[in-house]
Amino acid sequence: MSEDHVAQVPDIPTRLRIGVRSGLQTSFKLLKFVLPLYVVVDLLKATPLVERAGGLFAPLMHLFGLPGETAFAFIAAFTLNLYAAIAILVPLELSSWQVTQCGLMMGIAHNLILEGGVLGSTGARAGLLTLCRVLIAIACGLLLSGAQRLWGG
Amino acid sequence: MEIFAASLLGACLLGLKLLVIIVPLVTAFEVLRHLPVFRRLGRACDPLMEGMGLSRDAAVPLFTGIFLGIAYGAGIIIRVAQEKKLPRRELFLMGLFLATCHAVVEDTLLFVVIGGNAWVMLGVRLVVAILLTAILARIWRHTSRQRSEADPDTL
Repeated sequence: MSEDHVAQVPDIPTRLRIGVRSGLQTSFKLLKFVLPLYVVVDLLKATPLVERAGGLFAPLMHLFGLPGETAFAFIAAFTLNLYAAIAILVPLELSSWQVTQCGLMMGIAHNLILEGGVLGSTGARAGLLTLCRVLIAIACGLLLSGAQRLWGG
Repeated sequence: MEIFAASLLGACLLGLKLLVIIVPLVTAFEVLRHLPVFRRLGRACDPLMEGMGLSRDAAVPLFTGIFLGIAYGAGIIIRVAQEKKLPRRELFLMGLFLATCHAVVEDTLLFVVIGGNAWVMLGVRLVVAILLTAILARIWRHTSRQRSEADPDTL
């Protein structure tokens, strides 16, 4: 921390008070973004978005050495969350390497709407960061499927 | 309409959960930050942070985000940012790191349960986040320096 704190450290009750107040301020700042987006995401669950978009992207999944059905899991991971994605992945009976691949890609890019809001609340450029996440996930997916092809696992 | 009400209820529960975690977290941060141990830990992380173009102020938000998740990391970032006036560059670099690499324990375990390899998922994510942030820090430093020559107030 900076020099001004070394000069005068406030006593514990003051710090507690500052802490609680700034904790509340911080929470409200965050909630302004998170709450409306949570409702949006939750309502998306009731729409046929996952089926529609999943069907659209299914042919692309072969680029990653994954079955087309995993596209539905990816759309669910991107728009909803990892739990929704895993529920779709489990019945597909993927190999361990394919699960690792999905886990890495989805670990990097998931819950993009809600977390985009969270990132934006810090003052960083959320749209650009979200685009980066998707691109990084794609790059990592290609990397792992390339590695598997090389070592023939 | 019923679905909407359920969503609102879910949103309120999530809001409550965030409140219950963030307020104690920020309070603990405020009380502990002046301890010498805390400062020494910060100093120990300096070389790695510097390599990623981040200052010591970014260490706490970064580690909170890596282990607890992006919302809690963001909670601390907002707090640190409003107090220290973190520059846009640092906010974006931190965001880039956390966007790729957060809540690593929970995310990884979820996929280990269904048969994934934890070390590959964890390792690649960490390495990619560190590398990308470090690379971007080098590119961006250059342009911000050029801009600061024209207008010294921008730094």
